[in-house]
Order: sequence, then structure tokens, then C-alpha cells
Amino acid sequence: MSSKAITELDKIRNIGISAHIDSGKTTLTERILFYTDRIHAIHEVRGKDGVGATMDSMELERERGITIASAATHTEWDGHHINIIDTPGHVDFTIEVERALRVLDGAILVLCSVAGVQSQSITVDRQMRRYNVPAIAFVNKCDRSGANPARVTEQLRDKLSHNAVMMQIPIGLEADHRGVIDLVEMKALIFEGENGEKISIEEIPADLLAEAEARREVMLDAVSMFSEELMEAMLDENVTTELIHEAVRRGVLTRELTPVFMGSAYKNRGVQPLLDAVVRYLPDPTQVENTAIDLDSDESMIVDNSPDSPLISLAFKLEVSPYGQLTYVRIYQGTLSKGDSMVNVRTGQKLKLGRLARMHADQMQDIEEAAAGDIVALFGVDCASGDTFTDGKINATMTSIHVPEPVIKLAIKPIDNKASANMAKALQRFTKEDPTFRAYLDEETNDTIIAGMGELHLEVYVERMKREFAAEVTTGAPQVAYRETIRNEIAFNYTHKKQTGGSGQYGKIQGVIMPNEEADFEFESKVTGGNVPSEYISAVEKGFKSCMARGEYVGYPVVNLKFRLEDGASHAVDSSDNAFQAAARGAFREFYLQGKPIALEPVMLVSVEGPTEFQGEILATLMQRRGMVVGTTEDAGFVRIDAEVPLSEMFGYATVIRSATQGKAEFTMEFARYGTAPAEVAEELREKWLEKKAAGSN
Amino acid sequence: MYRKEINERSPLRVFERSIQGGLGKGNVGVVMSRAGAGKTAFLVDIALDELMRERKVLHINIDNPVEKVREFYDEIFSDLAESQKLERRERAHLVVERNRLIQTYGRESFSMDKVKEGIRLASEHMSFDPEVIIVDGWPKFSKATDDDVQELVNLAKQYNCEVWVSARARREDERDDRGIPTKISRFDSMLSVVINLEPHSDHIRLQIVKDHDNKDAASLFLELDPRTLLVKWR
Repeated sequence: MSSKAITELDKIRNIGISAHIDSGKTTLTERILFYTDRIHAIHEVRGKDGVGATMDSMELERERGITIASAATHTEWDGHHINIIDTPGHVDFTIEVERALRVLDGAILVLCSVAGVQSQSITVDRQMRRYNVPAIAFVNKCDRSGANPARVTEQLRDKLSHNAVMMQIPIGLEADHRGVIDLVEMKALIFEGENGEKISIEEIPADLLAEAEARREVMLDAVSMFSEELMEAMLDENVTTELIHEAVRRGVLTRELTPVFMGSAYKNRGVQPLLDAVVRYLPDPTQVENTAIDLDSDESMIVDNSPDSPLISLAFKLEVSPYGQLTYVRIYQGTLSKGDSMVNVRTGQKLKLGRLARMHADQMQDIEEAAAGDIVALFGVDCASGDTFTDGKINATMTSIHVPEPVIKLAIKPIDNKASANMAKALQRFTKEDPTFRAYLDEETNDTIIAGMGELHLEVYVERMKREFAAEVTTGAPQVAYRETIRNEIAFNYTHKKQTGGSGQYGKIQGVIMPNEEADFEFESKVTGGNVPSEYISAVEKGFKSCMARGEYVGYPVVNLKFRLEDGASHAVDSSDNAFQAAARGAFREFYLQGKPIALEPVMLVSVEGPTEFQGEILATLMQRRGMVVGTTEDAGFVRIDAEVPLSEMFGYATVIRSATQGKAEFTMEFARYGTAPAEVAEELREKWLEKKAAGSN
Repeated sequence: MYRKEINERSPLRVFERSIQGGLGKGNVGVVMSRAGAGKTAFLVDIALDELMRERKVLHINIDNPVEKVREFYDEIFSDLAESQKLERRERAHLVVERNRLIQTYGRESFSMDKVKEGIRLASEHMSFDPEVIIVDGWPKFSKATDDDVQELVNLAKQYNCEVWVSARARREDERDDRGIPTKISRFDSMLSVVINLEPHSDHIRLQIVKDHDNKDAASLFLELDPRTLLVKWR
């Protein structure tokens, strides 16, 4: 393959494969890479065997059956370039999912033909909806006993309210599954050969003809909503496959239609038609609107996908690979060439691009350049994931993905000196890769603290430390990351004065501290007449800001405050930067508690799904945990209950829900918001804080 | 404005007065329109108005998942908060969420017995007793029997609450002299209020086509803004 840039944008597909953990995503990805590489190998006669290519490079992922990292793999099908962005399936890794969803233009939603739409499919679907990702569905595992793709299609309609329509029907199910009937061409596709690579196209078996005709009618009815030409052609009875494809594509692009394909990745059935569908129906980069923020005008701008425009690209994933440290970028406009210099918009740092590459399933290809719409890997670029690179001709950044504050923390201790050095390396790497993962030193206890978005999130990093960095650590009990703020406005008037020989310290400030839903910290000065000299105003701001790290009420970080400095006084000799910082800290200490402080706790959106007969039991477990039920959904004997529950109440919930429902319910959870903690929780936190303070002062 | 003021100044107060002080407990009201003319939006407007004064609303939806219904509320709430300059927005939002329960059903799974079981569980485990029940996407009036509609009335009576139901009208529907499709008016004696939403090029007009036993339903000078989906003065 050429090392030049791909500039035919209509030949690029950036896609994700989204799925529930056990629906066979990894197998499907492997098969896709196998078939595409195979074709590739035949063309280039490289004699390379693509078998065993895998997206899940990390040992741990395979063991747990979940995908953590989002690598991007390049492959080709039918003259098209497909970049497969691996989307993590587990909801605990929200930021990684959101990053991946951000850079892809379309997705394959994989569902298990036995289990159907499960609570995790619902979470994944929710995320895709948030980013307006057009999707096609693949009902996998049609060879399993109990397989029923028609039922899964119904569930897509009912549970996820997709306008799902079957584009195929299965030829045989369970052990008899041999292939599919293509309802567009009205042909039977039988997959033969050792790896299903031979497709024999046959007439529809007589016993399936009636069903195929009926399903085709349903499909045409649904699809014709997106094309008047097709509707007319149906009336005139001269429907062509092109008209159908065009109509399906239109429906998919607007997210108003989800065509459903089926097969068994494991048994090598149905994968090639799915690839055809990716190329046919999912959007190319020009059909998706992406916006950046022009930092000069502070307004959002639509990126133009032109290779000749100033460069805007987003680093969405850092990865340590056998080839060294890689930074995956999506180019939104402009061209990246080897030897170019780029600017990291966040740091202002200029850097030279030494090497860029396309990552194939298990090998890497050096390339000279890459253009808008493409996804490539860069070598030796120092940055954090989420950074924007430009060529310096434009001052713009890809709109930042919202990074939530960590909600849970854990103390870790290396078991020996060697582990200690390795742990430091590991933490440095992880914090760069994942902005929701934080690590810091607790100055009081001298413990290393790691913080993140959920119990599993932290567990995975602890295990990665052990496996990838040989850093074995012991962990403390997980702790909820509370916050605090005030409810009422407080006027303050404070003088900091010290006279201990030599030059003294003097600073007097007066103003208001008030609750502020808009931002975590805000400071404004209304001082007139130079009562507080302007050089000290920033010292006051600095002083207040330093107070936000820990509140006086329960000893947790303070949020949602606005400080207004209105007046004050200074002394010609004794006032200093330090004196005014001290004045701000003193004012905060003295007045903060008068503002009716409250504790805030992280609240999670929890979705529990199980058989309807357990609805009462599930509700009870949620209510006992101070849950606020948002809603219930009932369908086909299953109920799903969505509730907002404080994180502190969710420890050990997996065991509780299992025993309450005889193991028949499962749940997912993601961070929703910070909410006011009830008085009894706040009191307990306050007692602990006061004890700690007393112990500290002894 | 504060939450309470928004309530007091809402155009829905006019709507309430025009139907003799409201739908009334134990009664069933119908909101009808052609597809996509804003039935759900108007039902959510009614619900939000109730929720803002801390009355409990059970929102039943057939066909849409919970989060879609919730998104609908969030969108209309945020338009309302924006246009009315609502103070303490987050708290008002929490009041809305605390007093609202969404129950959704797959088309095939919906039945009045399930709704009742849902209400029983909500009452038992959550002390949630609805004062208003919204039934959005109720299976077609055209196929309904007297018993089906009677079930709605029973629901309103049994729980002593107001029940609002959506109904889809079609252009080709046969209508009575008030303009009510006969598929709905055949249940006239069981329905207390019927509202029609009539789409125009830039607004959606609200019409009271049945007002309890009142022979002359009042003309309503209200409409739905198709952009914000809020009720406003005409």
C-alpha cells in the first residue's frame, strides 16, 4: 500500500465496534481483520498470514473479556480504507469510550442473538446517541442455541427505539446456521471453506422464499421512507438495488434507520456482507459535522476536511506498543507530513514530527503523510491524550471532551523498593493516557492516592501496574471523593496583622463569599480608589484559591464559590504579597462556616435489569441505598430500573443484587452528578474531620 | 423568577381556568393531534407545571425508552428555565426529578394490570403516589373498546388522580361537528376534556374541543412554540 496520504475522503470509513462484553466483539474484529488482510495479501502477494490479529493487545483485557484500550487499526475492503477504532465496552471507562466515540464517524452495534439487548447494550447505545453516531447492527452468535435475530431486531426497536430493520434473514439457526439471505439482492449467501472465505451465492431455498419475500416487503416499507425515488419505483414495480442502498444510506446517516445484519463471527458467517454494509451505509468523514473552537474569536468553527487547510488534529489515545510510544491522532483538516513541525495548542510547545505510521492488525507501516479525515499514529510525540495539534497557521482546538472529576479514591503502597520505582513510572504513564485517572501524594499520611471513576476503573490500573510494570502494590479501602460548598452568602471583613520585629505583615480585606452554580472557583475585584493596591489583588485571589483545596466543614475540596473583594487597606511598609495571601486564608477560615456549608457526594446513574418478577426486590435494593428512581422500562418479561444512587451506597452492590434476584439481574453504573449529601452523612464526615484536625494539632 | 412565580404566571393558568379549574381528579383528558404536532411536548408542559409545584407525576410512555422521555423533560425544562430566568435552577430541577416517575413499556408488553402493579410497587417501596398520570402513546383509539377506555377512567378514580392520554388524529379521520374524530368522540361520556393541537406554519394552536359538560368550550388564546415547545400566549 502507498505511503502517500489518502485524499479520496469518500473512500475512508472511521468506525467503531460497540458491544456488550460477551457479544463477541473481539472475535468479530478478528474476523474482519482476517478477511480484509486476506484480500490484501492476495493482492500484494506478501504471503503473510493475518490469523491471530487482534485488537486486544493487553493480556489483562483478554483475561477479563473486556477491552480497555482504544487502539485504531487500519484495514481495507473493496477499495475503501477502514480505520477501526476500538471502543471499550465497559462503562467504568467513560472517558475512553467518549474519546473513541468522538473520533469515529459510524459504528457497528454488535448484539448477541441469544441474550439480545442487555443493560450494557443500552449504556453503549446511550453513549452513541450522545455523540450522534450513525450505526448498523450485527446480530452475532446465530449458531448458538436459542438464537433469534428477529427477536433481537424487535428489542432494538422496543428497548432502544431504533428504527431497526432486518436486511437479511438467517438460513438455519443454532447448529443448522449456514448463511444468510440478502433481502436486497434476494439471494442466498452460503459461507464455505475452512474459514468461511468462500461465499457461494445461490437461489433462495424454497422453504425460506415466502419468509424472505415478506421480510423484504417490511424492509422496503421502512427504507422507502428515506427516498421518494424508491417509493415511486415500488409503485411502478421497478425497484433496483442501487435505489435501496441509497435509501438505506440516507436513513443511516440521519440516524433514523438501523439496518440489521446477522451471522456468526466465530463460525465465519456473515462477516463479509457486514463489511460491504460498512462501506455502503456508514458515513465518510465529510458526512459528519465536526467542530473546533477558534481560540482567537472564541467561537466554534466547523472543520472543513480539506487537506489544503491549516492543520487541526486531535490526539485521542496514547499507547505503549512493541514499536515504542504511539500517539493516535485524527486529522480533521490539513495534512500531516513527515518532518513537519506542529504546535501543541494546550502547551504552546512546538515539535517536529519524526515518524508517522498506519497501524495494521499486527504490523506497522511507515507513511510519508496523512490527510484530513484519516487516523494515524505518531511516534515520539510528547503530549497528553486529548491535546490538539495544529501547524501554527490556525489557533484552534478541538472542543474539549468534558473530563469529569474522579469520584473514588484509593491509597496504594508499593511492596518493596523495586515496586516503588516501577509504580512511579506506571502512574506517570496512566495519568497521561487517561485524564480521569489521577495520582497524588497525600501530604498528611504520605500515602500515594489514586483516584478515578469507579471501583473497577481503579482495580484495572492496579492490575496493569503489576503486569505491565512489575509494580506490586497493596491497596486500602476505596473512599468516596466528597466535596463541600456553602448555601448562603457571607460578608467578610478581615485584617491580617503581625508585628514581630523587623518589617511586619499587614493586609485588610473586605467583601463577600457566595455560592455559585456556574463555576468551581470565581474571583472578582470591585475595589476602587486603590485601597487594595492592584499588585496585591492577585495575591488575594491566590490566597482564596489555595483555600479551595480543603474546606473547613468536612475537610474535602471546596467547589462552587465566588469571592468578591470590595474594599480593604494596606500599609506602605508592612503590606506584601504574602500578607494579602494570608489575609485571604484568614478570612476564609474565619467566615466560611457562617455560610451554611453542605457536603456534596457523587451520585451515579445506576441501571439494573432483570426478570419482571424481581421488580419489587430490585426497587427495594435501590431505595435502601437512598436511590431516586428515574424510571422503569418493561418489555418481554424483563424490567430495567434506572435510578440515581449515591456512590457511597454502591460498594458491594454486585453481591447484594445477585442474592436479591437469584443472580438473574445485572447492573451498570456511570457518574451522573454531585448532589447534596444528607445531614447524617455530612455530620459523620464532619466528626471524622474534626477528629483528624484534633489529632493533627496534638 | 423563582419556581413558584413561574407557576403562578404560567400561561397554563389560563388553560386551567378555561376548563373550569382544571381536568379534575378522577377524570380523563385527551390531547390529540396529527403525528409530530407536539402531543408529547404539551403533555410534558402540563407535567412540568405540576412538578414545579411538587405534585407527583407518573409519566407512562409506550415505545420510547426512559432516557428519551427524560431528555424530553430536560430540554423543555431548560428552555423554560432560560426563558423565565429561573433562579436556583438546579434545585428546581431536582424538585422535578424527585416528583416524577417515568415508566415505559414495549408495545407488546403494555397492559393496565402492569401499570397498576407498577403504581403499587412505587407506592410500597418509594412512597410514590401519583396525583397526575400521563399516558403517552396509548394504543390507538381506533381499536379501543369501551372497556379499554373504562380502564383509564378506573385508573383515574382508583388513585384519585388526573389522567392525560395522547391520541393520534389523522387528516382522513371522520369527525363530529366539534371536529373531534369519531373514533374518540364515541367515548364522549367517559372523557372529560379533549384538547386539539393544530399545526400552523410557525406555531401550533391549542383548542379546547371538549370541556367537561360545558356545551360551549372556551376559545383559547394559547399556542405551542414549535421551537421551544413551550406554551405561550397567542
